[in-house]
Amino acid sequence: MKLSAGDFLCLEGDFASSLYIVISGTLSGTGSAHTAANPRLFEPGDIIDVFSLLEHAPREYTLKAEEDCEIQVVEHEQLKAILDEKPSWLRSIIEFLIRRNHIGEENARKSNLVQALPSLLYLLSGILKEQGGNTAPMATVSARAARMNGTRPEECHKLFKVLQELGVLKIQENSLQVQSPELVHLLYETLRYRALEQKISPNILSMTDQMVLTVFIRLSQRSKDPLRNGLSAISTADLKKESKKSMHGMTLTTRTIGALVEKGILTPSTSLDFHQPLDQAEFFFGDFDRIMDLLELNRIFPLLDKKLVE
Amino acid sequence: MNGNSRQQVIPPTHSSVKAGFVVYSHDDQERKIIILDKGELAAVDNSLTPRKVHFTMQPGDLVGVAALLEREPFRYDLEATRDSEITVVSEDCMESELKSIPLWLLAVIRELSARNRQRKEALRRSRAANSLVSLSEFCRHLKKGEPYPLESLVQEFCWQTKACAPEVKEDLKALSRRKFVEIAGMDPVVTVTQPELLELFVDYLESEAQEKPWPPLQLTLNQKKALVRLSITESDLSQDPPAWLAFFQKNNIALTAADWIKMQGLGWFINSKGDLFAPDSKKIEYFLLALRYEINLRGVL
Repeated sequence: MKLSAGDFLCLEGDFASSLYIVISGTLSGTGSAHTAANPRLFEPGDIIDVFSLLEHAPREYTLKAEEDCEIQVVEHEQLKAILDEKPSWLRSIIEFLIRRNHIGEENARKSNLVQALPSLLYLLSGILKEQGGNTAPMATVSARAARMNGTRPEECHKLFKVLQELGVLKIQENSLQVQSPELVHLLYETLRYRALEQKISPNILSMTDQMVLTVFIRLSQRSKDPLRNGLSAISTADLKKESKKSMHGMTLTTRTIGALVEKGILTPSTSLDFHQPLDQAEFFFGDFDRIMDLLELNRIFPLLDKKLVE
Repeated sequence: MNGNSRQQVIPPTHSSVKAGFVVYSHDDQERKIIILDKGELAAVDNSLTPRKVHFTMQPGDLVGVAALLEREPFRYDLEATRDSEITVVSEDCMESELKSIPLWLLAVIRELSARNRQRKEALRRSRAANSLVSLSEFCRHLKKGEPYPLESLVQEFCWQTKACAPEVKEDLKALSRRKFVEIAGMDPVVTVTQPELLELFVDYLESEAQEKPWPPLQLTLNQKKALVRLSITESDLSQDPPAWLAFFQKNNIALTAADWIKMQGLGWFINSKGDLFAPDSKKIEYFLLALRYEINLRGVL
């Protein structure tokens, strides 16, 4: 087949069952991954649309001759005729390679998403700080993710949707409204700690710690005392009483609350002797918002990996 | 390109193997494809205690394609779990068969194989188009004035982007030469003194990559003078275009209507009410900073 410069060979998305081999000249291909400003060029020897030949897949590119071109077209019937006369293992190998390509493509898609999440959270957290609020322009986050990590717009959108499903943010018309900027930062830090320290982040709490904090928050919400500098104080007696009710009869002890004190999440009214009963401290106080964010982080974090590869 | 050359084809070998027979050892030098015709094979790792079965093969399954076509190591031993029949396609056999098929089919097989390899390689590489832009984008979100240990910073950036550490260190030096970051100390620490400069640098590099002129470095002398004058003007001064032109005229800056349109296009003014315009102090600061650090941005220190 001969094409003159400027001729179109096919349109992206057209269903077809043939492939093209460039014999001479140059074709430019545009499509989802290659814009008109940055087309993929095909030169002599290149083959185009292997999967249209093998599986009748839609054309990958809109192809235009940049100069006079000669193209060889190979139809599916030709492939079938060759494979019919060849030993069956050759067909098996081709089928194996096709399967592997599909698996590889799916794995790459998932891997790219998993890999893109930390930088997206990092950038979102930074942009929220810059803007000084709970809202970040979606286009800005996507543009910076593309620059920093080559993240594609559709990958950003998928990640925004995952974060929305987890309750981290809400996608609005042109912006992202986050539940808590600190939660975005905590999520990033927790991922970073897991990856670089190869350990569970101190932000990830045991079930007991989470139950104690849930009790603390519940009592804080019920309390009529206003927060002082964001801090909430709950008496030890109330904590013990509510814990017994909420934690299936479990008694709150110095040891139970010790991990939260050591992590600086709860602070006792007096320095705690771990060998003495809990009543030694009259009350415990903690940063209400920080505890809420930590509880939210602990709800989200175990779901994150699964959500990303769904 | 139809290349139906007929050469002598070396046929594959068919064998019957007893249960327990090792069909393919991971340290076999000879690469081959094993096709299971009858029975069952298992891929096992004998280096582990207890040994681990990675997968079992049923009739019609095959292994070794990646080893043969993509030179990937085969990591397991392949054993017959019961009496089986197999077809072995050796390298010579494969080669002779590939020589007998049309060139386009050979190209298709190569393309399929290459795509797999390229995809795997791509997963190991950074996806950022420009490593310096990528690093600048990362650094602009660091806390201003806070010293970060260089090694940890590089490690964190590499984790996020899959960039390679030596290249990142070179890029950090490039940022340091431009005075956008400071690297100091025996155990070096990195400090960002003015994150805004990194924002400018990212925009400048992006324009360069797109071969587009970067507006802050395209201003005429009078437009530059107007910019400096605006930077010391009250930001709540709001007036219509003729009044602004008169304002510049009064300050010995001769601007035309075309200049006014250009300045508006650059976003120096915001439409405050009706036909009234007020200076956008953020935008003006951005352009002013670009002018002040032009040499650093261009990297011609």
